[in-house]
Amino acid sequence: MALAGQSQPNAARKILIPGDRIPLVPDAAHQSKEGPLKVRVGPGLQQEQGDLVAVKAGVLKQAGGSKYWMDGSQKRYVPAASDPVLGTVTARQGESFRVDIGSAHPAALSILAFEGATRRNRPNLDVGSLVYCRLSVANKDMEPELECVDPATGKAGGYGELKGGFVVKCSLRMARGYVNACSPWNRRLVLITLNYSLLNPKNPIVTILAESISFELAVGLNGRVWINAKSCAEVIAVAKVIQACDGAAASDINKLINHELRRLEDAMDTS
Amino acid sequence: MSARIRSDQRKLPSEMRPFYCSSALLSRSDGSVRFKSGDSSVLCSVFGPMEVKIRDEKLDKATVEVVFKAAAGNSTTKERLYERVIRETLEASILTALHPRSAIRITLQVLTDDGGILSTALNAATLALVDAGIALRSLPAGVTCMIDQEGVLLLDPTILELEAARSTHMFVFDNISDGALSNISTGSFSMDEYTSCYDTCFSAVAAVQQLFRSSVEGKVRREHGPEADA
Repeated sequence: MALAGQSQPNAARKILIPGDRIPLVPDAAHQSKEGPLKVRVGPGLQQEQGDLVAVKAGVLKQAGGSKYWMDGSQKRYVPAASDPVLGTVTARQGESFRVDIGSAHPAALSILAFEGATRRNRPNLDVGSLVYCRLSVANKDMEPELECVDPATGKAGGYGELKGGFVVKCSLRMARGYVNACSPWNRRLVLITLNYSLLNPKNPIVTILAESISFELAVGLNGRVWINAKSCAEVIAVAKVIQACDGAAASDINKLINHELRRLEDAMDTS
Repeated sequence: MSARIRSDQRKLPSEMRPFYCSSALLSRSDGSVRFKSGDSSVLCSVFGPMEVKIRDEKLDKATVEVVFKAAAGNSTTKERLYERVIRETLEASILTALHPRSAIRITLQVLTDDGGILSTALNAATLALVDAGIALRSLPAGVTCMIDQEGVLLLDPTILELEAARSTHMFVFDNISDGALSNISTGSFSMDEYTSCYDTCFSAVAAVQQLFRSSVEGKVRREHGPEADA
């Protein structure tokens, strides 16, 4: 909960467009301290002569008193370190695989970046196979690098090749989790943002669906979602719900899910 | 009482046609916008940052490509000029250094042309870049005006009015500075006429910027739900 703090709803949540300046008003905690105001700037913002300037459209968010970022939506993925992503292998290149993760440049996945992999015991991935991995290197001047192990434990931890199932695309905002960014006393807002964060296991879309269908889900922050279930009809139902809920108002989500579940029941009856 | 100055329903020489825009129309592009100004409408789609051709690759910044397609017919030198004006104007606003060795492609398709197509296309491109989530320093907005044979300044002329133009002027202003970002003027005109065109366009661009803000805010509000205003 590093990001959880006293967020100020009035000052911290505001719709901005590129070019808007944000006057930095130091809060009481910072004013009492000596020394210059320290601000951490996240995505969508830039510093310009002591002011913050928005470079993307979205909602300005603030946490921990001094962390600012813009919450907007886009379709194109820009790699960021430690993001979990879904990619397809496009080529084998000696010591590494070339993986398409939807970014401007293809990513490299080393054959040694798998659980228990050695030069002798190398993973066997074919061109076209789907991998769930984590970005270990993401720098604008370098090619992105992937790994299929959790660096803390050295175990696969859910990463690796995904067999079977189906992949659908969704917006980056839907895929991303916002829970850590919201403060505990702002629960109502947390519940609304939860609707959009598929990565969160308590996500209402996932929880409501799980009551009637058993399925597996792997969410990549590059806007790709892998779904697997016992029957094709169930996979299609989950895929349709995810695509319908993307960008839908929070109040419509229950209706959309129920509509899709009813269609699934009808399909099951006729077959 | 007085003779009609404008070729359409407008009454004043310094009156703009109604304009509006709708975003996220295309499912496959990263950002898309249709911008309408009267009967002129342009559809813009933006891809990027994406893979760049080796030939166009720049090591320290993104390459901005602009493709301008007329409503009908092949691409002529006029379209190439428009592409260049739009590219050079937008390059000043896009933070290209954030995405080195990649491409940002802007495709503009004219749907209907009724004058002022360059400024309409530029406004469509600006909004499509915002829709695609590409980092921008500011929002450039364009306005066209003309001076007819009698020396009357007409703002946002239609294609009928442009036929009687002695000179036409397109100015681009952004939302963070007071000066013009770019300007294209053709025909013969005096210094005074030029300054009055500049001033007219500068005051008219506020309405375009207002539309930019309201349309972007509307989109963010739709996506975020009640959380955006909380």
